[in-house]
Amino acid sequence: MNIRPLLTLFALALLPPVMAQPAPETPTASQAIDLGSGAWDGVVNIDVSVLVPDYREPWNAGQPSGGSGTGFLIGKNRFLTNAHVVSNATRILIRTSNDPEPHPAKIVHIAHDCDLALIEAEDPAHFEKLKPLDFGGIPQLNTEVIAVGYPIGGDRISVTRGVVSRIDFRPYSHTSVDSHLAIQVDAAINPGNSGGPVLQGGKVVGVAFQGFSGRVAQNVGYMIPVPVIKRFLKDIEDGRYDHYVDLAASDFPIENPAQAKALGTHGGGVGVMVADVEPAGSVGEILKIGDVILSIDDNPVLNNGLVRFEGELMDMNEIVERKFAGDKIKLEFLRGGKKQEATVTLKRFDPYVRLGATYNQRPRYVVFAGLVFQPMDRNLMDAHQIRDRTVSYVFDNFLTDKLYVERPEPVVLTNVLPDEVNTWLTPYAHSIVDEINGVKIKSLKDVQSALAKKDQAFIEIRLLEKSRPLVLKRELAEAAHPRIMQTYNIQGDSFVGEE
Amino acid sequence: MKLFTSFLLLATSASCLHAQSPGPAAPKKKRVLTNAAAAAQPTVQNSSLVKVNATSQSYNLHLPWQKESPSGRRGLGVVLAGNRVLVTAQMAADATYLELELPESGQKTPAKVVAVDYEANLALLESPPSDKQKAFFAGLKPMSIDASARIGDAVTILQTGRVGELIESPLNISKVMSRRYIVEGSGFLVYEATGIIRSEANSFTLPVVKGNKLAGLLLSYDSKNQVTTILPAPIIEHFLKDVADGSYEGFPGLGMELQATQDEQFREFLGLKPNEPGVLISAVVKGASAEQAGMKKGDILVSINGFTIDSRGDYKDPQYGALSAGHLVRGRAYVGDKVEMKVIREGKEVTLNGTLARKKPEAHLVLPYQFDRGPRYVLMGGLLFQELSQPYLDAFGEEQRSGAILRLARIATNPEKYEEAGRKKLVFLSLVLPTPGAQGYDKLGGQVVNKVNGKVINDLNDLAEAFKSAKETWHVIELDDFPHILHLDTFNAERDNMRLLGGAYRIGSLKRLE
Repeated sequence: MNIRPLLTLFALALLPPVMAQPAPETPTASQAIDLGSGAWDGVVNIDVSVLVPDYREPWNAGQPSGGSGTGFLIGKNRFLTNAHVVSNATRILIRTSNDPEPHPAKIVHIAHDCDLALIEAEDPAHFEKLKPLDFGGIPQLNTEVIAVGYPIGGDRISVTRGVVSRIDFRPYSHTSVDSHLAIQVDAAINPGNSGGPVLQGGKVVGVAFQGFSGRVAQNVGYMIPVPVIKRFLKDIEDGRYDHYVDLAASDFPIENPAQAKALGTHGGGVGVMVADVEPAGSVGEILKIGDVILSIDDNPVLNNGLVRFEGELMDMNEIVERKFAGDKIKLEFLRGGKKQEATVTLKRFDPYVRLGATYNQRPRYVVFAGLVFQPMDRNLMDAHQIRDRTVSYVFDNFLTDKLYVERPEPVVLTNVLPDEVNTWLTPYAHSIVDEINGVKIKSLKDVQSALAKKDQAFIEIRLLEKSRPLVLKRELAEAAHPRIMQTYNIQGDSFVGEE
Repeated sequence: MKLFTSFLLLATSASCLHAQSPGPAAPKKKRVLTNAAAAAQPTVQNSSLVKVNATSQSYNLHLPWQKESPSGRRGLGVVLAGNRVLVTAQMAADATYLELELPESGQKTPAKVVAVDYEANLALLESPPSDKQKAFFAGLKPMSIDASARIGDAVTILQTGRVGELIESPLNISKVMSRRYIVEGSGFLVYEATGIIRSEANSFTLPVVKGNKLAGLLLSYDSKNQVTTILPAPIIEHFLKDVADGSYEGFPGLGMELQATQDEQFREFLGLKPNEPGVLISAVVKGASAEQAGMKKGDILVSINGFTIDSRGDYKDPQYGALSAGHLVRGRAYVGDKVEMKVIREGKEVTLNGTLARKKPEAHLVLPYQFDRGPRYVLMGGLLFQELSQPYLDAFGEEQRSGAILRLARIATNPEKYEEAGRKKLVFLSLVLPTPGAQGYDKLGGQVVNKVNGKVINDLNDLAEAFKSAKETWHVIELDDFPHILHLDTFNAERDNMRLLGGAYRIGSLKRLE
């Protein structure tokens, strides 16, 4: 079987260290595990067939592939696993350790931003008698945990043991743009462990989800802790996943005494500077660059952006993390040395999603006379390996330079499929479309509607920071279009999204 | 190993700058000369060739108060009238010591640069008058210049061996075109020739002769494809004529961007009939010759000085055939010359008249190249401010362009918005030295500076002035990028400045503004 590595890697980045708490004694006697008892039947192997979308030839179905991970029963016919285990799945099969029978399953909810998914067996009968696993809390440092799952190295259930090494705010590599609380353990976590429970005292304290390759670091595995899991489960209670909410502001530590004095914090160690504010985010109308956040929901914010929360020093975002769209938080901040207070209604900040990997989505595109237009996102950038300086700049600075305000969905001319009609245009692939016949292109749909207008004899496509417009004579382009579609074996000339 | 790599990445902005040197330095060989072999060799043109030894030392672009390690360059210069020696500008770039050497006897005399043009890659050297200089030039006679070479002509590349013997490599000119030499900017005339060149140590200048006359200087040799590019005599003549009148103006440019119009649908869109000449003007540089003459973006350029410009942007040169229109101005005209251009604007032919000028490198928002002088900088309390230059960006290489460097590189290619805002140079925070006063800022670098103490910063002089007028006991530095605002205690900054002078970083001066 083709095993896809389900544990993805990411580069080390140094974040402010978390203060280690002295760990109280919590003896956990090592007990032998009796597989015959059925106590472990709730931990299942998930065998997945996937179809990886093709962002180079977006009209094609993609590349069939497969993988395997772990999941566990948390309620009546409800299995929790990682989003990355079941992403892009075309078929999901559940197997338990004592029963060779595969059981087809389907996704109920999937949350890519926190790498969690809930799946159910199509026929629940087999799992009715199984006992769901219970959740614990945040385990303390240096306490023992076991990871249970179906990692590489064999077919049957595996158990590894270790201690909790660190509790920290970490990037989640599935989307590569989201960070949440994560717990580091030194129990071996290997490809295939993904989605499996990490247990302490018989209760689930996390879901194993990512680690480093042995060449980078030893004995470093990460699990998604209970607060993140609970948040996911609460979010979907209304039958819909609404995603995380975000302040959508960047902070800069106030370490410099002059900075502290000038901003009016007087160096008491409280208050972090607001260094960037997304106009489309939750605090876009509330905070300004140069403000100093003093507290968030009455939790004092330290000068490096940490708060003491549930006994631990954590990133202040952790308080926002636990909230849901529409929830309110109280902010206390300094502006021009004066203390102010505001109530913020939290919402999701959409533009950043484009910068992360997306799954379970059919690539969107428009093809016209051999010109292939696709919306700019990470999947597209990765697939096309775009080196063009303007496209790289727009992608890299989509948030930092607030480019999303003017152009919420930049459209890239990704390819020109050569034909007599477009032979002079082939060097202009990998450009951002600025205007078509005078219409500013803010989304892929704009391309479709601008091309559909037949009022002009020429189609003039202006590209961002490129020296000449691309010009097609409409009658020639329309005559060439079906020919090109046939030659290059393109089934449909556009897919702009489900209505 | 991977872990180590990750840490290196974190330190990218601090450690990855390396100035690019124009090429490998020739190894110095010391050998005792023997006279036995010399007599048998032909020495026809030897009386016009001298070896040129240069020591060059460039400034460190990242730590601008310091210089890189010196390196040696060697070349073969051509003696011209007035005992002046012609070499490529690469020979003279960042030179700390230049000397001339007679190929046979090894006699030497020091030299200095009379004129240099880095765009045209040419430099003229002179040895200060002395008895030594007189004796040195006594046996030398000037070589004359022949600009008549055409495609198909045979030329010879000259080199000298260890004892001054002449080594000749015959080549044939196969192509004439326009391309840039060693620095960013517009193209110059280039001969391309084919043939094998014997490899000797003289790497930075080699003369190319036609008969006994100078036809050009070697620009590059691709040994794999045996293709040579040559800096041709017409450009040398232009340079020498410009030098001769006492004030050097350089090569003029029009300052506009041409787009070929071969694409039939594009032609029809532009209103051009099939087989009609003309190219689209897609950009006009502010303040440059074309704009002064009234050229507008969107015009169709059909002729320059009576030469028709075809749909590729070429004209028919009487000597070379089809050649880029740029040469009409750059190679065939001088600064101050009149130029007449015909354009089609809104269907009508319009004649534009103007005077040719050259946009000096200093006039660019981002300095296109810099030699012989140190980069300008201001150091304040550990914060290093510089003006963006192309060499600074080039030092990062194409692969490392992301984040702040990508942002800065984009400004270099699209400077219009910043120029219109009145910026003369782009001042940015390039590095933070770990001083006590700059605590908390040491990971910053690459942020464009907008204001200091409320004053708009259009160049480093503005910055140096603005630091004199703090309104409080701290300086306020406003940046274009994250984290947007920095404060620096005025007293601590001065104290840190004093400590930096002569301290661990061996900083001799807190600024260079000349």
